[in-house]
Amino acid sequence: MTNHWIDFKNADCILVMGSNPASNHPVAFKWIQKALENGAKLICVDPRFTQTAAKADIYAPLRSGTDIAFLGGMIKYIVDNNLYFEEYVRDYTNASFLVNPGFKMPGDNEGVFSGLTGTKTKEGFVSGTYDKASWSFQMNADGTVKNDPTMQDPNCVLQLLGKHFSRYTPEKVEQITGTPKDKLLEIYKTYGATGKAGKAGTELYAMGWTQHTVGVQNIRSMAIIQLLLGNMGIAGGGVNAMRGESNVQGSTDHGLLFHILPGYLQTPAAALPTLAAYNEKNTPQTKELQSANWWANKPKYMASLLRAFYDQGLPLEDAYALMPKIDDGVNYSWLTIFDKMYKGQFSGFFAWGQNPACSGANANKVRQSLTKLKWMVNVNLFANETGDFWQGPGMKPEEIDTEVFMLPCAASMEKEGSISNSGRWMQWRYKAVDSPGEAMPDGEIISALYHEVRRLYETEGGAYPDPILKLTWNYGKHFDSHAVAKEINGYFLEDREIKGVLYKKGTLVPSFAFLQDDGSTSSGNWLYCNSYTEDGNKAARRGTEDPSGIGLFPDWAWAWPVNRRIIYNRASVDKNGAPWAPNKPVIQWNATKKAWSGDVPDGGWPPLADTEKGMKPFIMKTAGVAHIFGPGLVDGPFPEHYEPLECPIDKNLMSPQMVNPAVKRWETDGVPELDLRASCDPRFPFVCSTYRVSEHWQTGVMTRWTPWLLEMQPEMFVEMSHELAQLKEIQNGERVTVTSARGEVEAVAIVTLRIKPLTIDGGTIHQVGIPWHYGWRYPDPKFKELRSANLLTPNIGDPNTMIPESKAFMVNVVKKEVKR
Amino acid sequence: MKNSSFLIDLTKCTGCRSCQVACKQWNELPAERTVNTGSYQNPLLLSSQTWTLIKFDEFEKQGKMHWLFTKIGCMHCEQPACVSICPVGALQKTESGAVIYNKNVCIGCRYCMIACPFHIPTFEWKKAFPFIKKCTFCFDRLAEGQKPACVCACPTGAITFGTRNDMINKAHGLINKRSNTYNPHLYGEKEVGGTAVMVLAPRDVAFSDLGFPKLSERPLPTWTWNALKFVPSQIVLVSAAMAFFYWLTKRKMKKKDADKEVQHDA
Amino acid sequence: MTHNQDKIIGTGSIILISLMILSLPVAAYRYINGLGAISNLSDAYPWGFWISFDLFCGVALASGAFVVAAAVEIFGGKTMKPLLRPAILTGFLGYILVGTALMVDLGQYHRIWYLTWSWNLHSPLFEVGWCVMLYLTVLALEFAPVVLEKFKLEVPLKIFKRVSIVFIIAGITLSTMHQSSLGTMLLIIQGKLHPLWHTQILPILFLNTAIAAGIAMVIFESTLTMKIFKRPAETRAQGTLAKGLPWVLGIYFIIRIVDLTIQGRVGMMFDGSRESIWFIIEMLIGTIIPFFYFLNKSVLKSTPAMFIGSLFVLAGLVFNRFIVSWFGILVPETASYSPHIMEIMISAGIVSGGIMAFYLISRFFPVISEEH
Repeated sequence: MTNHWIDFKNADCILVMGSNPASNHPVAFKWIQKALENGAKLICVDPRFTQTAAKADIYAPLRSGTDIAFLGGMIKYIVDNNLYFEEYVRDYTNASFLVNPGFKMPGDNEGVFSGLTGTKTKEGFVSGTYDKASWSFQMNADGTVKNDPTMQDPNCVLQLLGKHFSRYTPEKVEQITGTPKDKLLEIYKTYGATGKAGKAGTELYAMGWTQHTVGVQNIRSMAIIQLLLGNMGIAGGGVNAMRGESNVQGSTDHGLLFHILPGYLQTPAAALPTLAAYNEKNTPQTKELQSANWWANKPKYMASLLRAFYDQGLPLEDAYALMPKIDDGVNYSWLTIFDKMYKGQFSGFFAWGQNPACSGANANKVRQSLTKLKWMVNVNLFANETGDFWQGPGMKPEEIDTEVFMLPCAASMEKEGSISNSGRWMQWRYKAVDSPGEAMPDGEIISALYHEVRRLYETEGGAYPDPILKLTWNYGKHFDSHAVAKEINGYFLEDREIKGVLYKKGTLVPSFAFLQDDGSTSSGNWLYCNSYTEDGNKAARRGTEDPSGIGLFPDWAWAWPVNRRIIYNRASVDKNGAPWAPNKPVIQWNATKKAWSGDVPDGGWPPLADTEKGMKPFIMKTAGVAHIFGPGLVDGPFPEHYEPLECPIDKNLMSPQMVNPAVKRWETDGVPELDLRASCDPRFPFVCSTYRVSEHWQTGVMTRWTPWLLEMQPEMFVEMSHELAQLKEIQNGERVTVTSARGEVEAVAIVTLRIKPLTIDGGTIHQVGIPWHYGWRYPDPKFKELRSANLLTPNIGDPNTMIPESKAFMVNVVKKEVKR
Repeated sequence: MKNSSFLIDLTKCTGCRSCQVACKQWNELPAERTVNTGSYQNPLLLSSQTWTLIKFDEFEKQGKMHWLFTKIGCMHCEQPACVSICPVGALQKTESGAVIYNKNVCIGCRYCMIACPFHIPTFEWKKAFPFIKKCTFCFDRLAEGQKPACVCACPTGAITFGTRNDMINKAHGLINKRSNTYNPHLYGEKEVGGTAVMVLAPRDVAFSDLGFPKLSERPLPTWTWNALKFVPSQIVLVSAAMAFFYWLTKRKMKKKDADKEVQHDA
Repeated sequence: MTHNQDKIIGTGSIILISLMILSLPVAAYRYINGLGAISNLSDAYPWGFWISFDLFCGVALASGAFVVAAAVEIFGGKTMKPLLRPAILTGFLGYILVGTALMVDLGQYHRIWYLTWSWNLHSPLFEVGWCVMLYLTVLALEFAPVVLEKFKLEVPLKIFKRVSIVFIIAGITLSTMHQSSLGTMLLIIQGKLHPLWHTQILPILFLNTAIAAGIAMVIFESTLTMKIFKRPAETRAQGTLAKGLPWVLGIYFIIRIVDLTIQGRVGMMFDGSRESIWFIIEMLIGTIIPFFYFLNKSVLKSTPAMFIGSLFVLAGLVFNRFIVSWFGILVPETASYSPHIMEIMISAGIVSGGIMAFYLISRFFPVISEEH
């Protein structure tokens, strides 16, 4: 998140949409509670009346998958009623930038942006890819962007934004989302009030927004709103992703996804054979005045990363050559992995601390894919549906050739290391107990694997041993979390003098400002450079002082980057460095001392008013200002409402384009018998969403085996309205079957007042919801019941991230005929 | 700490059930094998293995949707009915405020279960030598200067702990400061003479909506004592009356016999 | 002493002995697997059939002993003397049955004697427990002469006859204490016990109905006993005893109605609810009908008539005790209870044992008088 958990208490208005913190981040709710005690308003928008809604001042229902319509209506309301923070918008965003006149928007371009080349699908809409050439700005001769500070020019971003969202009238939004108009306006007004200087609004989201074919654009909508209202960089503001796992922030930071290296550096592409080419392609340049363009430092970070892998014995270009490259135009994400696995293109698979047989969308396809493997290694605490896939429901073990190895691993309290939370805080954890039996920490397993693979390469050779054999591995025979943490921070590999100070070889680098592009420094992750220095392991600090009063707690653990707690905090002050909110300042410029006080400033330069040395606040953007117009995404510079791939209505009320045109379709190159879909199909008339409960976690591999948790939520259930239950003659507590085009699950019906049918375009639409914590493996494995929600979800993903659309798909619910 | 109390602020409870698990963990209580009956509430009832739980109630009132989460468990009354009627004195109200149970003298008569106005004590129906089970106020933790397990586990501060006076003052302070948020009544301040566990509810929700019984301020043991206090005088009066009537009867019979004798003689 | 040439074990005895034997494995199951194994009792219904029937009814029905003892020994009602020894035996066996039932119902039955050293003077059950323990002793002492007579132990018999009045007075005092304290036990559930029955004067009402039930039970038992032993009925004794019934019932009716009126609960009696219907049935059957019935002089001269009348009083008493200890107690909506067949079997076994014991002792000891 841009802010952090404790910061929620500083908000005047908290919008919870696309998440349910009371249920799923209960400890964090303490800070939301503190905000409420100080008079803040809590707004909850959700298809269901959740535990968060139970604490909210305003609750509004919503059809799953229509968040952009809802938020688009809010953008229109803010623009029409002049609720936006004008000075902030003009100086800190690209609202004043002039866009190329060739740029076309969905309102007068058949529902798509300009530059789309694609084909019409059998459902009748276009699917393809965008050429983003027209999504560009008009340039001055000196290479800077043309802009209109009055923001009146019809081609300026703000005017185009207004024009684009003028179609999102409250009436239209009500028709699409099902949210009553008076509730829409109440929410727009309440939240829009945070546009005043000194007022802060924060938004909390999670998988409710990301797991859609328009997932990234959902978040973009909110980012635009937050920028319009001046809520970025301030206390109690921000766009705050509540991560679904305690260390998934750490996993993305350290590059566990295919498209990024640690520190969000791009994975080298095959088309970039040298480091020079890589740096040329990936390092942004700018001519804009007062723009720090921090990514211009990328070559330093890439070089230091390469040095963390391969020390100075290898020239940088040679080190780059050893790095694996991704082929052009190929997607290596989760959905693709299992598609290719099904087609027999994988011989082996490490299911490391995961349970794809339950967590993968279209889990039947995943389970079938696993049967094609020659071997699998299941690293986990407990037996699960993945490791035991071969004896799962419907499987014939005698026909499966996969050899499965189970490596029991340590739980989090049985090993030492760090966890990075949603607030970017890296917090060190100690080992409390020994693991039972043969279980080992993951790091120990990886270390053992490395040493053995290395030995095999040395003794037997292989196709390409160099990337392994030339690795620098200074951690010893056994995994040492401190050694790795220090490597991540980075070292000086030779004596260096910087700004008059001599740093000797072997010294830990103080921060990423000291990293070099010539291979004289190493850093396993530039973002974490500053976390473990000569001053010690900062992640292990436990100081409880908070001089700021806004909950920064600078001496508790360590946050990236460089212990900055609220990022983009230069946007929390005006041109002269005076905070918009004097009672909750994040940073403040002291003109006499010529220094900032408060949080670590997002760049220590003087305020913007200093035309010589001052810098604009959004330093990670090339122009130094935030993107209201966002040309960096593959599916549009502005968010546009599209229906989910499986939806209950046969047309998109906003435009002729039904579904996000940039979504990857699997019809032509997928697995036809498994990649099934059914939209506006009378067999599957109800909108279904997936979610969590407090008592279980992920696919329940740990929590189903914990009796005190299983006792509270023992079984798979499906929540539905009284109206739907009556329609299908289902009683509360009765067993039912939920089916989609891809599979079926058995569940107990919870008939509740907290879900109501919605009126969508004049017709009644029913929604149901299911948790995804259950699987056949435990409890009662002998029944081999179908309990995993992902047996129903579609393997169709957001075009930017490929996150599956698990939050909106179509199902049917029927009474179960046969009792167990 | 003497005379301590719980303050349970239901406006802050999100139904996360950390308290339910913390109680099980601290008291090493086994989990029950449950099924989903169409609610998040599980187990559905208190039992010898479940000493506190969160009740889930959903209802619509005046057009507003409510989903309430209510912690139930022993109220640790100031003048407990169970303590007053246990024939062997197995239940005691302690200085700390806890109502504790001594399994070393309990005869398993279950009178305490009948007496409790909150239906709290549970029984080990499956054991050959069954005992009564209920929330212990984490009496053992208090002895070590620790707060009760549920208090420590609650993430939102819905459960707080302190002296009874402090908790009463705190509750009324909250009611006054945020009158739009709270039901103005502090449940347990006066009911049945006061309970050590006191509850605040959201404003437009009645305590009876949540299953809290409507009780008068009169401590229940006073009903019993109003009768038992006459026992000593009852013993004296009845014995004396019977002795008197016996003496009268004996005198009448003597007189009759004497008359008969006189007749006989005559 | 009965000179009965009938065989000792007839059909009736076979049935009774079978019920006794059948209850033994059920009891064993309880001792191994807990109370839940043989009953439908639960946390919502911790007391059920055993407490309502074996304890609350059982104690009230055994009160004939002190009523007849008072009538005969304190107030000189010699005509009722033939009823005295059977009443004492009924009482004695009755209290033993209550104790036996508690041996099954109590969780820690082996600790029942803890009442002697772990005291709670505020507990009505403590008082009931002590009174019952002492009263059993007194009843045993009151019955001792029967045994001494059988074995012709003249000297101890003489001593007993001299001091018996002490036991009798003690017995009456102890009885009034615990019969009323059983009512005191229910004072604590104010709010849980339906307001048509809960009142501060419950102890007085309990004592009152216990006396009525005692009289009715003596009539009932004496009628059946004389029939079984093929002896003429003790109509005169019964008639004298029954003369007190209208007084006892009348006082009860007045106290009850006045009490409900003072508490403003008159309307509740007629509000058409389930409980109001119970109230009317209880008053009609247990009080009003027998009140008028036993005013009739011809009834007092007929054993069969008095027998029928006693059934009304007994039915009313049983219904009343079941209401105050089971039916009339508020429970959570979702709870339900009806006795398991095994609970009935235990009670049936115990009651059968009592009847068998009464029969055998009456047969071989001088309980039933020869004189007429």
